[in-house]
Amino acid sequence: MNKSIRRLFWVLSGGFVLLACVLGYWQVIHASAIDNRPGNPQTIQRTLLVARGAILASDGSKLAVSVASNQQGQRVYQRTYPNGTFAPQTIGYANTVQGMTGLEDSQNGYLTGDYGAQSLLGKLGLRARRGANVTTTLNVAAQEIANRDLAGKQGAVIALDPRTGAVLVMASSPGFDLSQVGTNFSHIIAQPGGPLLNRTVQGRYPPGSTFKVVTATAALESGLFTPMSMFDDTGSVLASGQLLHNFNNEQFGPNNLTQALTFSINTTFAKVGIALGSQTLGTTMNAFGFGRAPSVDLPAGTVFPSGRVSGNTVLSNTQSGEDVARIAIGQEQLLVTPLQMALVSGGIANNGLIMNPYLVHTITDSSGSVVFTHHTSVYSRATSPQIAAEVNTMMRNVVKEGTGTAAALSGLDVAGKTGTAQTSTNGLYDAWFIGFAPAQAPRVAVAVIVENSPLTGGVVSAPIARDVMQSILTGGN
Amino acid sequence: MSPRTRELGFLIPAALVGLLGTASVANAQSRTLGSGALTIVGVVIGLFVLMHIALRLRTPFADPYLLPIVATITALGMVTLYRINPVLAREQVLWLGVATAVFIVVLACLPDHHVFEQYRYLCGLAAVALLVITMIFGTDISGAKLWIRLPGGQSLQPSELTKILLVLFLAGYLRDKRELLAVPTRRIAGIALPPVAVLGPVLLLVGACLGVLGLLNDFGTPLLYFGVFISMLYIASGRGSYVVASLTCLVVGALAIWAVIPHVHTRVDAWLHPFSDAQGQGYQIVQSLYALANAGLIGPGWGQGFLIGPNGNYVVPVLDTDFIFTAYAAELGFIGAMALLCLFVVLVARGLTIAAQAPDGYSKLLAAGLATTLGLQGFVIIGGIVRVIPLTGVTLPFMSYGGSSVVTNFAIIAMLLIISHRSRAPFRPRVPRALRANAQQQIDSLDG
Repeated sequence: MNKSIRRLFWVLSGGFVLLACVLGYWQVIHASAIDNRPGNPQTIQRTLLVARGAILASDGSKLAVSVASNQQGQRVYQRTYPNGTFAPQTIGYANTVQGMTGLEDSQNGYLTGDYGAQSLLGKLGLRARRGANVTTTLNVAAQEIANRDLAGKQGAVIALDPRTGAVLVMASSPGFDLSQVGTNFSHIIAQPGGPLLNRTVQGRYPPGSTFKVVTATAALESGLFTPMSMFDDTGSVLASGQLLHNFNNEQFGPNNLTQALTFSINTTFAKVGIALGSQTLGTTMNAFGFGRAPSVDLPAGTVFPSGRVSGNTVLSNTQSGEDVARIAIGQEQLLVTPLQMALVSGGIANNGLIMNPYLVHTITDSSGSVVFTHHTSVYSRATSPQIAAEVNTMMRNVVKEGTGTAAALSGLDVAGKTGTAQTSTNGLYDAWFIGFAPAQAPRVAVAVIVENSPLTGGVVSAPIARDVMQSILTGGN
Repeated sequence: MSPRTRELGFLIPAALVGLLGTASVANAQSRTLGSGALTIVGVVIGLFVLMHIALRLRTPFADPYLLPIVATITALGMVTLYRINPVLAREQVLWLGVATAVFIVVLACLPDHHVFEQYRYLCGLAAVALLVITMIFGTDISGAKLWIRLPGGQSLQPSELTKILLVLFLAGYLRDKRELLAVPTRRIAGIALPPVAVLGPVLLLVGACLGVLGLLNDFGTPLLYFGVFISMLYIASGRGSYVVASLTCLVVGALAIWAVIPHVHTRVDAWLHPFSDAQGQGYQIVQSLYALANAGLIGPGWGQGFLIGPNGNYVVPVLDTDFIFTAYAAELGFIGAMALLCLFVVLVARGLTIAAQAPDGYSKLLAAGLATTLGLQGFVIIGGIVRVIPLTGVTLPFMSYGGSSVVTNFAIIAMLLIISHRSRAPFRPRVPRALRANAQQQIDSLDG
């Protein structure tokens, strides 16, 4: 009998070994696959246990912080947004129900302390992870002025430091209050205008006449034209079998390229476009970064590229056989983000060099030591310093005596270009202004769009750009 | 060192596990280690000391390791219960008190386990009767009709007592028919079969248990009974072919039940594809897997897992009984769970060692049956949780909350210790004083 008893013991032990193996499969080998299943409350709860780092404005004021509270005897952290309407789409939310967006998403690794080499204790989970604090480039005063000016409108304002690419203002209207996301999300998404949409990087609009800055640069690059090249405007040009008119059917008579930009003469730029051809114009578009999208430290895929868009695909800039006359004046399937137009403006401002735009300035760990610093880098060379200087001068004329006089600042030279693109509704326009200041040594470049405006970019958007630029330049940034 | 002194020494680490575990929970939950928690620990330690004293008085030569192993598993269970529900932990202390009383009564009133041998058929009948009573008066709790409600809100789980009665019956019966069983009379498809007259009543009784439990809608207990039956049959006969034949019966029976009872389909589906109905039939097992996976290799530690939701409910249903293993492994991780599995293996090993050391066939069968019951019960519920077998509603011995289970299991331990004592005690014949004096005189005269 003892032999049978011994064998029984081995069978029973074998059963427990089997249990141990299968348990090891669930708890160790297959664990991460189970952890990542959607709706796993354990994974959701685990995010609440981490003291998430803060997101700060450039002056150190708090935009997102975690506050500890006690839940069933456990210390959990609640995310709060002291200034939830400041830049809701850019800061984003980190929520167990709605997920993560904006910087909360893209910087999640740093914010949850999951970065760099983990100590052995950290790897084993024996030491609580502490999130690092993310300091952004956002300028509090200017961002709030942009919010104020956009209130009640649909549109966006983006301002960069053209020398570094630092994003100083990233405002999109309508906005929402981040502190309402957890409790009132259905109300937020029911609001008209799509409050969750970050229009600065995801809104795609016809650029209208702001695109003439690109066309002018291509014209000078080609060597076929100078700022003084003469044209004669008879009110219309025949392009691709259809007559192309000026805004409000105006007729300007003889004009040079500078005047054409100053007064936004469509016929002149259409002629320039035809003379350049899609190959030359497309090459300059490539140089300005059309067709690509920088990350701006936002989550992958949330910054949309600009260019000629068909459906959801961005076409090649240099494709031949296109209606290049209408592309040259910012029509014909051209759709651009405010970010892209701010890069155009910033490229001219920074002697032809477009710097990589960024939102994250530094990241410091819980003990205060810096774990990440942004290093400025070149995004693209748009044009030569000489041509940038010539376009700079032409754009200064726009504000001095052309369509953009509303952007003028006393005592400072401002350069700019307006745009008033037709929308599907007659009499309503996407009103643009792009520009930079001070024109001699630019410290800020902006792009402003106001959707469905009955007024032109020079009337609606130029004053917003002026306010934002003034705030940045007087704030000592 | 005497076995009892050794036992006392091994009880100290068990007490430390309980004390440190409780302190760890209190620390993680940012509660202070108040008098309430310390009272629980103190009372539990006191109960084990009482059991130890009873063993010193009644069974001084019994196995010294069994009680410390049980004490360690109990300590792990009590700390886990205290972590998920302090109120239930206090109630469980009361049940542990009742179990201690039963333990001491068994030791005091049962000098020789052989008394059950002559009442084997009575035990068998009592087992069936208990199940029939449950079927008639039973209350449905979490899908299985296994409880009898008592006035005063408590409920009793007769199937726990049934398992002891079944082992007592099988030990007596198989011991009686052992010689007949060992000689196969016919072969079917090369498998040796014992005489029908011998095996018939056994199969009938076990079949009755299975049938009744099938109707009670619980599959863990029949699985447990069948496993115990096969194990004891194997020990009695020493024939693997009987095991094969019985397992074939089990599979055929299971397939038949699967074909007949639609309720089983959902249970099998929840076993094989829990994630396809994660909010319905698979909810328990999916939530349990989430909690286990979250723990990983070493786990977050006692009191630091996510077991209690913000509303105060368990994250995994029936966490205090069926899923107490999940509550434990979700906080101590794979390594902690391995420690618990090892404790169960050692428990089974000690039980079967007692069986191997026993001098007679009845004691061997009884001890092996009781030890197998404890081991298999652990295997069935943990196996259900880790999806080796379909999930069933049996308790994890010495860990799950519940009175019937803990009382029965301590009675089993008491019986094992009695068997162990009787087989290890040195033979000391009782010699009358006059005879002894006479013998001394003869020795003295030889010297002279």
